[in-house]
Amino acid sequence: MKKLLEIALGIVTSVGGFLEIGSIATAAQAGAEFSLQLIWAIVLGGICIIFLVEQSGRFAAVSGRTLPDAIRERFGFNYFAFMYLILGLVSLMVLAAEIGGVCVALELATGVGFQWWALPVALVIWLVIWKGTFGVIEKGVSVLGLITLCFVVGAYIVHPPWNQVLHGAVPTLPQHNAARYWFIAVSILGASISPYLFFFYSAGAIEDEWKETHVGINRVIATGGMSFGSLISIAVLILAAMLLLPRGLKVQHYSELPMLLIPVFGTKGFWLLVASLGIACLGASMEITLQIAYLTAQGFGWNWSENQRPLAEARFSFVYTVTIILGMLPSLFGLDPLTMTVFSMAATAATLPVSIVPFLFLMNDYSYVRKYRNGWFSNAVVLSIISLAFVLAVVTIPLQIFGGG
Amino acid sequence: MELIRDCLDKQVDDQAKRRMGRVDGIILVLEPDQPPRVAYIELGVTTLMNRLSSRVGRTLARWMRNRNISPDPYRIPWGKLKIGLNQVIAEVEAEKTPALKWELWLRKKVIGRIPGA
Repeated sequence: MKKLLEIALGIVTSVGGFLEIGSIATAAQAGAEFSLQLIWAIVLGGICIIFLVEQSGRFAAVSGRTLPDAIRERFGFNYFAFMYLILGLVSLMVLAAEIGGVCVALELATGVGFQWWALPVALVIWLVIWKGTFGVIEKGVSVLGLITLCFVVGAYIVHPPWNQVLHGAVPTLPQHNAARYWFIAVSILGASISPYLFFFYSAGAIEDEWKETHVGINRVIATGGMSFGSLISIAVLILAAMLLLPRGLKVQHYSELPMLLIPVFGTKGFWLLVASLGIACLGASMEITLQIAYLTAQGFGWNWSENQRPLAEARFSFVYTVTIILGMLPSLFGLDPLTMTVFSMAATAATLPVSIVPFLFLMNDYSYVRKYRNGWFSNAVVLSIISLAFVLAVVTIPLQIFGGG
Repeated sequence: MELIRDCLDKQVDDQAKRRMGRVDGIILVLEPDQPPRVAYIELGVTTLMNRLSSRVGRTLARWMRNRNISPDPYRIPWGKLKIGLNQVIAEVEAEKTPALKWELWLRKKVIGRIPGA
């Protein structure tokens, strides 16, 4: 019974914490411009993230170590420094986009320009991390994030052509604007295979004191949570295809997002969208902030835990404080949150190999994972994801130039 | 034991399991007619930067000296270490060593001054 509860809570947490500004914006743009044709990108990204999250959880549960710990130990400082710089920079960009997302939600709700909300939002994020425990952030915010399930309800109500939805799950070539099609596909993959998700998940496994006995639970949570999470992204895409595309809206501005739910739920739809956007981005902002602080502290061997008082880990607390300040600045200076989102998702896709390649080595290292090493199937999947990551790294920048506009 | 594989970059904890940092460098002593002897491990940012590039390390050390900050890394004698699987335990008290100098400075000067810390 206790295990069932743990699994249920884990899945709820993963589902509630899955959606963020990147997955909402990229799925909405995909539906609004290419109807149901890009569902395959979400499915592919979902499959990749299930495997990566499962492996990072298994690694932490068995070895008692997080991914940055092991990357520093096995790959040395020079590789860690390279990964730290790239991942830190990309995560900061994603954080800026998420903070922008919360600010946009508040602008939609109040009519006050989003840049005015940057400082209060940053303060709230900092306060929750400063005063809260890991459980408050992981479970509390994620449970609130379940409001994003309204997209699934909405997608069901609009009666999409289900045969076309299934057809969209199979990759097809674009009928028009190929560069844009592939750019959005790459951005969806960047939003789905976010390194912050599996780095945060591995730190969470240590915070929650997972042991070898959690290997099975981890598998169910990773598979269930990421699958249902991807389902919400697909629902956003369906809504955009059914409601935005016929109206000629291409999600070039966040003010178009409420049209995803208003035709289905009326005025309530507007508020559901505002709450979903605000809560999803707020949760993601906290997770990314913590992930940057975890990455720094774990890589340099400092004391870290969100469950300790800030005074007991001054460097860790200092890093997340500075991170929030840096993440807030773009919104404060009025940088368009949608531009930040699209750019940060592309940057994530372009830098994926740096954080995914270590999986292949660490998940086969007996000194860490002992009998829980990857089998041939998991290794084949990781190799495929690495190949995909290298392709994304090569094609992202040209696609950003030719299809990003 | 293989020094690079089993010691370098491993987590260093003190006896009370307080995290001190990582093994940023290993010092070998060469004496005439003797095999190289492992004398110390080093913890410190200048050691790390030297591993990236000796020019970066020198520049950082100069910058620190100009601001009256000691660039010297903290050395722990090899005899005070227990090397475990992916972990190094040092027979010292972390808070009394320079390894936590910045942690204690931030605690006192910055974090400790914020309400609720």
